Amino acid sequence: MSALKKIFISAGILIIGIQFFRPAPNRSNKDSDADISKIVSTSDSVQVLLKIACYDCHSNNTNYPWYSNIQPVDWLLANHIRKGKNELNYSEFGSYSPRRQLSKLNGITNSIRDDIMPLSSYKLMHKNSILSTNGKELLIKWLQQAKDSLSVRN
Amino acid sequence: MGLLIAVSTLTISTANSTQSRVSIKEFVSSYLQMKNAFAEDNSSGAATAGKKLEAAFKNFDKSSLTTAQKKTYEDVETDAREHAEHIGKNGGNIAHQREHFVLLSKDIYDLVKAFGGGQVLYRDFDPMANNGKGAFWLSETKDIKNPYMGKAMLTSGSVKEEIK
Repeated sequence: MSALKKIFISAGILIIGIQFFRPAPNRSNKDSDADISKIVSTSDSVQVLLKIACYDCHSNNTNYPWYSNIQPVDWLLANHIRKGKNELNYSEFGSYSPRRQLSKLNGITNSIRDDIMPLSSYKLMHKNSILSTNGKELLIKWLQQAKDSLSVRN
Repeated sequence: MGLLIAVSTLTISTANSTQSRVSIKEFVSSYLQMKNAFAEDNSSGAATAGKKLEAAFKNFDKSSLTTAQKKTYEDVETDAREHAEHIGKNGGNIAHQREHFVLLSKDIYDLVKAFGGGQVLYRDFDPMANNGKGAFWLSETKDIKNPYMGKAMLTSGSVKEEIK
C-alpha cells in the first residue's frame, strides 16, 4: 500500500468517525420568561424578522441548516452560536440588568444600522436573512421604542 | 434601646470607613487615558486604554465592598467590562469604539458618584455627539477636549457638573 493510499484511508476513517460525535443542539422547547418579547412589546412582524435574521446565533433556538448534519460543520456552528449567545441572547434578555439591557439595545441598533449584523458570512448562506431597508427601519423603530420604555421604567 | 442606637451608630461608622478605603483610581485613570486618546483621534491608544481598563476590572478586589456597594459595583462592572473589551478589540475602528465610549462614560460616572473619583472631575456634554443624540464624558480638566469629535471639533461642548 502506498503512503498516499494510507493517508486517504485514515482520513476517510477519521471523517466517518467524527460523524458520531455531535455537540448538543441549541434547542430549547420551553418558552423563556426572560425572552425579549416578554420584556418589551414586540409585534409579530418584528418577531419574524428577529427569528430569521438574528435568532440562529442569538437565542436558545437555532433553526439548523441541512449541512449541519455533516461533521465538522456542526462543531463550527456550535462554537459560533456559543460566541453569539455570549454576546447577546434574546431568549435571556430579561436576565440582564437594566443597564445592560439598554447597552444591548444600543449595540443592536448600531449593528443593524451599520450593516454589521447579520454577518455577511451568515447572509451568504441564509439569503432570507438579508434585511431590506423597510425591515431595518422596522427593527430600528422597535429598538427605539424598547429603549424608551425601559428608560421610563427605570 | 441605648445599646441598639450604639450598635447602629457603630455600623454606620464602619460603613463610612470602608467606603473611603475603596479606590477606583485605576478605572478613572484608564478611562481618562482613553478619553484623551479619543480627543486626539487615536484609535489604537484608546484600544490600549480599553485593555487596561478591562484588566483593572478583572483585578479589582471586591471583598472590601459592603453588600450595597457590591450591588452597585457589579451592576456597572458587567456592562463596563464589555464596553472596555470592545474598545480594546476595535483599534482601527474609532467610530465603533466611540459608540461604546458613550455608554462606558455613563458607567464610569456612576462608579465615580458611588465611590468617589479620588480627584476633581468634570462632566462635559456635547449635544451633537452620538449622531445628534448628545453624549457626555468625564474630564480631569476644565477645558473642553471633545473625545467624540476629536480634532474636527475639539472644543465643542460644555461643562455640566463639577464632581469633587
